[in-house]
Amino acid sequence: MRVVVAEDLYLLRDGLVRLVEAYGHEVVATAATGPETLDALLRWRPDVAIVDVRMPPTQSDEGLRAALAARRELPGLPVLILSQHVDQLYARELLADRAGGIGYFLKESVFDADQFVDALARVAGGGTAMDPAVIAKLLSSGSSNRGLDRLTEREQEVLGLMAEGLSNQAIAQRLFLSDSAISKYTTSMFGKLGIVDDDNNNRRVLAVLTYLNKP
Amino acid sequence: MRQLGSWVASACVGFGRACVALVVAMLVPAVWAAAVGLWLWWGGNPWSWIAPFVWASIGTLVLARPVCRMVRSLVARWTGTVIPAGYRQAGPVTRLSTGYWWNGYSYSRTSRDARKDQRMRLWWGDPATWRDLRFTVLAPVAVGVVAAVPPAGVAGAVLGFAQPTLAARVFGVLCAAVAVGSAPYAWRLVGPVAGRLLRASPAMVLTDRVAELTAQRADTTVAQAAEIRRIERDLHDGAQARLVALGLSLVIAEKVLDADPEQAKAMLREARAGAATSLTELRELVRGISPPVLTERGLVDAVRSLALDSPLDVAVSADLELRLDPPIEAALYFGITELVTNAVKHAEATTARISIALVDTDIVVDVEDDGRGGADVLAGGGLAGLRRRLAAFDGTLEITSPAGGPTNARMAVPCESS
Repeated sequence: MRVVVAEDLYLLRDGLVRLVEAYGHEVVATAATGPETLDALLRWRPDVAIVDVRMPPTQSDEGLRAALAARRELPGLPVLILSQHVDQLYARELLADRAGGIGYFLKESVFDADQFVDALARVAGGGTAMDPAVIAKLLSSGSSNRGLDRLTEREQEVLGLMAEGLSNQAIAQRLFLSDSAISKYTTSMFGKLGIVDDDNNNRRVLAVLTYLNKP
Repeated sequence: MRQLGSWVASACVGFGRACVALVVAMLVPAVWAAAVGLWLWWGGNPWSWIAPFVWASIGTLVLARPVCRMVRSLVARWTGTVIPAGYRQAGPVTRLSTGYWWNGYSYSRTSRDARKDQRMRLWWGDPATWRDLRFTVLAPVAVGVVAAVPPAGVAGAVLGFAQPTLAARVFGVLCAAVAVGSAPYAWRLVGPVAGRLLRASPAMVLTDRVAELTAQRADTTVAQAAEIRRIERDLHDGAQARLVALGLSLVIAEKVLDADPEQAKAMLREARAGAATSLTELRELVRGISPPVLTERGLVDAVRSLALDSPLDVAVSADLELRLDPPIEAALYFGITELVTNAVKHAEATTARISIALVDTDIVVDVEDDGRGGADVLAGGGLAGLRRRLAAFDGTLEITSPAGGPTNARMAVPCESS
């Protein structure tokens, strides 16, 4: 994969570049400010970009704005947002265009390099990958009036993992269950929530996130 | 006919008021007149004036404040104008561990002595005392003379009609005319005169403001120091300790790497988990100091984010494009957080409405919930703390919360838009 890394702190940027390269991917450009990020994204059109939220010159949400602006120019441009904190507001903004190719993670998610690069690849393939912390927030907000309390505990667990972006197979591995057990859960879950099932995993994850994203 | 009736009524009311104003204004001159009378009655002795003079002086000092209070209450009742008195308030008298009483100025053996001493010092040091004295000296001339016209007219009329001569009767008629004509107006001078002479002087207003600001500054300093101590403690017991443990894990891993690779791996996993936990703790700490969304997006988006995370169904409406000063933003944000938390915890509300608007030069934030109400600003409580924090920006907090709900809290802070 061709990757752009946008992060203002040198040590972190360097670490991310080395991590990505250690897995055999190519870092085509790095950026340390908001405008540089936008520039790099538009010029290099990477397979996926890793973007920090807070960057110079204003030290506000420059990175997020740059990523959103780039995705307006190039719809579906895969971007994985990496931040010290996750916020529902930002998650909703990122998911609003329903184009896929979005990841939103806490910085410490890189501690598990295998899973992180996995998520990166999923985003590059047009999928969605969310930090468990983001999903926990989406699941907890106003849960009673959206019918989530009708799900069994296990179904909620499966829904959360699916919203993180995992495929049925990956969920089965994570929960030590069989694939068929998972598809049984998903069928009953979608029935209760009224989500139309889709064989394509990316589209299905998007449907789940869209459902969770409803105000 | 009706006009005549109302005029007669206003003349009667005016006559009564003029008499009351005259009596109040002439209380102190009456004391002095009595003293002079006493002196004349004793007569002869060249030192006999001293005792009446001292009594009259004491009487003036004692009467000054009651006279002014009476005038203030009369003006408030007659014209509806409230004249702020601006007297200094007594501070608390506290018992020290030594058994002595401290009244803010000096130590005394008993609480009674302490209070007496405090009253004297307050009275003596209060600029309002001197203003009251000045008023009691000026009032007989400024108010008394005019207020005396209707009663004097009546007295003249009575005297005139008592005499059988024509001239006296004419004099009586004239006096009656003056009394009736002046009655509706003679008392009206009390309002403007009292408003001018009894109001707190600019110096007094400034003194009060300085005292208020000094108290606020002390509050802020204390709060800030406590906050810094809390942050220090959190870092010391949390992140710092964890980083030490993390370093230790790495050292051990390095030591046993060759001899026992399995244990080395376990230590490294432990180090990774420790780093993740420290990050979580630091994130919580940062949220408490200044929520990242507030720094990155400003008040409105931070409140929207708060609404999304809240268990309540919260609607946010805001017509505020500008960014405020960071300290004001933070104070309002944490104020809203506290009010929403109260709605969840105490009012058991299910929905809340937050609106943020710029009204003239004030930022006005309304937080309304559908809970059971009954919220009150108690001394030392959370709402009192919130009010104090807003006061540091000259802001205000008003709570309307009848029992049974709903609760409406309004925070207003003046702002120079930036």
